[in-house]
Amino acid sequence: MQTLKFKLLTAIAILLAFATKPAQAQNASDILKKVDDVMYASKDMTAVNKIELTNRSGQKDYREATVAQKGTSYRIFRFTKPSSQAGISVLSLPDDIMYLYMPAFGKVRRISSSIKNQNFAGTDFSYDDMEAKPFMEKYTPKFLKEDAGYYYLELTPKSNQSAYSRVTMSVNKEHYYLVEMTYYDKGNHEIKVANYKFVKIGNYWNAEQITMKDLKKQHTTSLVMTDVKYDNGLTNDDFTVRKLQE
Amino acid sequence: MKRANLFITVLFVAFSLQAKAQTSQPLKLSGYLQTDQRILTKSPNDWVWNENRLSLQLEKKISGKAKFYSEVWLRNIGIPKVTTASDLYNKGIIDPWNLEIREAYVQLYGFLTKNLDVTIGRQRIAWGTADKINPTDNLNPYDFEDILDFGRHRGSDALNLHYWLSANASFQVVYLPFFQPDNLPIGIFADIFSSPVNLSFPEGMTLQNITTRVNAPKYNLKEGSTLGVKYKGMISSFNFSLSYVWGWDGLPMLTDNTFTLADTLGGVNINSILSYHRRHIFGADLAGNIGGVGVWAEAACFVPVNEVVMTTDLSALFPGTPYPVIYRSTELKKQAYFRYVVGGDYYFKNNGYLNVQFLHGFVNESGRGNLNDYLFLRYEQKFFNDKFKICPLSGAVVVSNWHDIKHNYAIVYMPEISYMATENTEISVSGLLFNGKGNDLFASFNGYDMLLFKMKYSF
Repeated sequence: MQTLKFKLLTAIAILLAFATKPAQAQNASDILKKVDDVMYASKDMTAVNKIELTNRSGQKDYREATVAQKGTSYRIFRFTKPSSQAGISVLSLPDDIMYLYMPAFGKVRRISSSIKNQNFAGTDFSYDDMEAKPFMEKYTPKFLKEDAGYYYLELTPKSNQSAYSRVTMSVNKEHYYLVEMTYYDKGNHEIKVANYKFVKIGNYWNAEQITMKDLKKQHTTSLVMTDVKYDNGLTNDDFTVRKLQE
Repeated sequence: MKRANLFITVLFVAFSLQAKAQTSQPLKLSGYLQTDQRILTKSPNDWVWNENRLSLQLEKKISGKAKFYSEVWLRNIGIPKVTTASDLYNKGIIDPWNLEIREAYVQLYGFLTKNLDVTIGRQRIAWGTADKINPTDNLNPYDFEDILDFGRHRGSDALNLHYWLSANASFQVVYLPFFQPDNLPIGIFADIFSSPVNLSFPEGMTLQNITTRVNAPKYNLKEGSTLGVKYKGMISSFNFSLSYVWGWDGLPMLTDNTFTLADTLGGVNINSILSYHRRHIFGADLAGNIGGVGVWAEAACFVPVNEVVMTTDLSALFPGTPYPVIYRSTELKKQAYFRYVVGGDYYFKNNGYLNVQFLHGFVNESGRGNLNDYLFLRYEQKFFNDKFKICPLSGAVVVSNWHDIKHNYAIVYMPEISYMATENTEISVSGLLFNGKGNDLFASFNGYDMLLFKMKYSF
């Protein structure tokens, strides 16, 4: 009888062990999908990005740009400060199509999609980090753990072109907004950490401040979003080469 | 004086616009101050370029439907060239300067119909997908003043209609009412476009004087104007365009030489005429991505409207002959020739950037058989969050005759280091080393290796 009970318990334990794995995988996808839903809840958004760069000795540089975004594929980013970069604009469209407008040359140039490999305008964000693509499209999630306040996920890039081997993410359990992301290079070394501060504007959670730290260079970029406006009625016509050079 | 008046007019227009449209955005003043200094590396290290440029850009957007823009260069350019005592009284010689309106236009968005943008005034109309050197970019005159600033153009007075058929497709018509010639290089490369004169006279005769007259197109609607049309579209994520230009070559060609006797002692004068020629230009370009590599191609087919013939009249040197002694040679045949560029670029994960272009036919070359091949290459590496940039690999290889490369080649090497001293101040130091043989443009730079220093402050 004891043996039978032991066998039954063992069988249940094995069943549970197998059963929890798919449940967690499902859970990780659900969580990440909800994060995407929070990040891209509005139809469109316009804002002013104030960017502060701090090097290891505490010296600071500043950038400022306006950003307009529709859905997850249309975005125009225009630098307004410093003067050396003012007017430089980047238009991102679906299918990795990107255009760069350089006022000094007076024309729009198509940019190679390999630019995603690089840092965005001297910041600690890469073009890839700045991309408005849903996490679910870019990464395969894995549930790591949870505690009282957060879910912890591990994301593996779907593209082998990514500069990262994996990314870990902590997510607010109540509202499903991002709290922290840690990026690992191909050698599995921790290279960058991003901290998010979300506030609610109207119906939407907004990443009011993102601080990205490059651990190797001890260089930090703080991106603060101001003048945020949601659901402005932007259309695809607001994200064209014609608009880029206006 | 005329230039100064024009400058004042532009300022007046800008401020008038500001006063009249208080609800629109304020007039924005931006620009940069740049110093550009160059010396030859060979002793005694002659100073070959001195330019201090103040670029003032005025921009005003009027109620989201129109834009006024102008760029003015106020420059101190050149080395003092004092030769006589009277020159010392002339500030223009002691401290040469000039004022130039690069652009001054008004752009109307959604003019008459929501899809039509109209730009009127002096403007740069940059066509082509290649990097800096664009065979299809033929509406604005070339600005060859600084021959090392390849691909620089001046603005043209033009009417530019741009109709957007969709987000990715548009049709453009540009009309330039009068002809504006290319301006030629200054400084040590002033004679770079002049063909070397190798004359041998009969014994006892010597060359006294050469005078050159320029035969420019008449400044009327019929003769001097240029028309350009362009269609832009997209096929399978590749941007492409097809264009046509009916215009003038901004570089004149030698068409007449008349030899006359200057005196009874055997002195000879030559009176030459430089003329411009009209041409049809059919262009096509495309740009896109293949596996993360940016790629572009651009080609233009030039068809001269008429053959360009050079006539040399030697009758005066042979007074005894019963017939005029006239030689004719064809400088440019009435046959199509192609200039083209293919290139690509790639951004590396280590913040490196590689740009490679192959070019057939440089900006000053025309006529089938006269076009050389150029390979341009540039690798940049950025450090410290883009504050520091080095270009260890930058330059060009030129072949002007594939059958005799040894005597018809040029190699240009241009390493560069630049540093953002502040957010708005960039300092760069570069070298230019030339090696070559033959008749191409770059081979003629041989012996002029130089060191360049630039500082640019943007505001």
